[in-house]
Amino acid sequence: MTALQKLRAALAGFPRLALWIIAGFLFLGLFGPWLVPHDPLKQNLLAAGQGPGLTHLLGTDHLGRDTFSRLIAAANTSLVGITLVLGIALVIGIGLGTLAGYLRGWAEESIMRVTDVGLAMPSLIIALAMIGIFGTGYWNMVIALALAWWPSFCRVSRGVAVGVMNKPHIEALRVMGASPARIFFIHLLPTTTGSVLVYATADAGGLALSIATLSFLGLGIQPPTPEWGQMLVDSLPYLEGDPRQVILPGLALTLVVVAFNFLGESIALNRVPRPLGRRILARRRAEAAAWDTPPAGLVTGEKA
Amino acid sequence: MLGYVISRFRNAIILLVLASMLCFGLVVSAPGNVAVLIAELRTPGATFAQIEEIEEELGLNDPLPLRYWHWLSGVPDGDFGISYKTGEEVGAAMARRLTVTATLLGGAAAFACLLSLALGFLGALRPHGVVDGLTRVGALLGASTPQFFLGAMLIYGFALKLGWFPTFGDDDGLRSYILPWITLGMLPGCVLSRLVRVGLEEEMTRPFALTARAKGLPRNAILFRDAMPNVAPAWLTAFGAQCTAMTVGSVVVEPLFAWPGVGAMFLQGVQFRDFMVVQAGLLIFISFFILLNLAVDIVVMLLDPKLRRQGGR
Repeated sequence: MTALQKLRAALAGFPRLALWIIAGFLFLGLFGPWLVPHDPLKQNLLAAGQGPGLTHLLGTDHLGRDTFSRLIAAANTSLVGITLVLGIALVIGIGLGTLAGYLRGWAEESIMRVTDVGLAMPSLIIALAMIGIFGTGYWNMVIALALAWWPSFCRVSRGVAVGVMNKPHIEALRVMGASPARIFFIHLLPTTTGSVLVYATADAGGLALSIATLSFLGLGIQPPTPEWGQMLVDSLPYLEGDPRQVILPGLALTLVVVAFNFLGESIALNRVPRPLGRRILARRRAEAAAWDTPPAGLVTGEKA
Repeated sequence: MLGYVISRFRNAIILLVLASMLCFGLVVSAPGNVAVLIAELRTPGATFAQIEEIEEELGLNDPLPLRYWHWLSGVPDGDFGISYKTGEEVGAAMARRLTVTATLLGGAAAFACLLSLALGFLGALRPHGVVDGLTRVGALLGASTPQFFLGAMLIYGFALKLGWFPTFGDDDGLRSYILPWITLGMLPGCVLSRLVRVGLEEEMTRPFALTARAKGLPRNAILFRDAMPNVAPAWLTAFGAQCTAMTVGSVVVEPLFAWPGVGAMFLQGVQFRDFMVVQAGLLIFISFFILLNLAVDIVVMLLDPKLRRQGGR
């Protein structure tokens, strides 16, 4: 119960709707394969292009596959892809970034220069170029995206690591004779990992979009595996006659991206103090006025 | 100030060199033998001797630094090698397509610029009002809608159903430009509008805004004349970043509307694993990003009196 309350308190500052959408996405992504009413891969040309009905809730596509099932299965594809890419990118980014912050000197300089090149260009271009060189395929897509994504994690974790290394407790650990490995793995790495993980949550939306974009371009998830971008491009030739097959996967993808972006925005707002607006100020004043004796430190609350 | 400009130039040149190494390194590390591909292209069923001849001709047996130098020295002349797929010169083909992409990017950037200012000001006129809420939701939706989905919807609505614009192509004058411009410019416009909106509100809470108000200036006058210039540097920096994002978007939007631009060519290169095209496209894109960021940095410094006086950070 306390764990649940803790979770609730931690999530209280975030937009409710975005959290519900993300929760839905995670649920469908995790349990989708057991929830689908029809086999998402089974073609039935006799039932192709049907409208919504009782058997096929959202109709069928041009090959007679159940759209509802395919949309759910696509959430699974997307979630697995995001997790794999984020996992690889986080390991590389946090590892190198923390190392740069720990070692400083020329090692930091060279790591950060490489990171700068990576950050100077959009991730999707790097991923596209790598797919162009090494060929299309599921793992090529995952690795290309991961290699394109790690620089931003590297920069964040390096910043955190430098901050931690400058704190007195690291100095104290050194004096007490802690080994470099102990300082790195026990005192430094967990801190940077924690900070970067929050940052990575907001990145999941962009990643979902990239996977869908690559699949749309025919370079990511290959048919017949259902994926939103790939479903969309699949039905694009039939846009005029059956726009539903284009709109539904597009909407599903947009919903997930909106939710993650919304969450990311509120994470950014929660972390960076911002001048207070007129209304919030007024509410705080009203709150403060309601106290009999203002607690110490909150008297100047207007400027907080 | 000069020191700032010089340090920016130095950074840009280092980035350019590293980026060119990356482009070169990617192709060198590609699996498979390039000479075999070219030999197959010239004479199907090439013999081993012919392949070796081509290897020698391309200088594939030279040490890596020398190969890098040979490749790099050809770049200023637009010599990007020959496409494995079509056999045409990549540099010349890219140059032909550059105007198409420039038309797309220029129009989309203008649209994004107008949209961001319009939405941002509309929201800032009445903070936390109904209009502000609507623009906020609209901007969030616009900033999260995948470009290919937005493009497909625009084609469906305005081209197929209403018939106002052609569904694809770029040979119908302005009419055929509108939909690609909107498709590409929507996302950056919406992202930037948030920045304008938040920046303006922040400026309006500052003491100078209060002073101006106390002196009797109407709120909107302060918004336009005093608050906007303060938002401009941040806006411009973000605009530069969004322009790079738009260049990436051209890879999606050009094929969607069947525009024969650099993005479409790059995509074809990726799809057919045409290394020379991928390499040239990547180098052109990255150089564009780096130079654009350099230009933005310098313009921002010229615009911002604080940076001008300090001579940069």
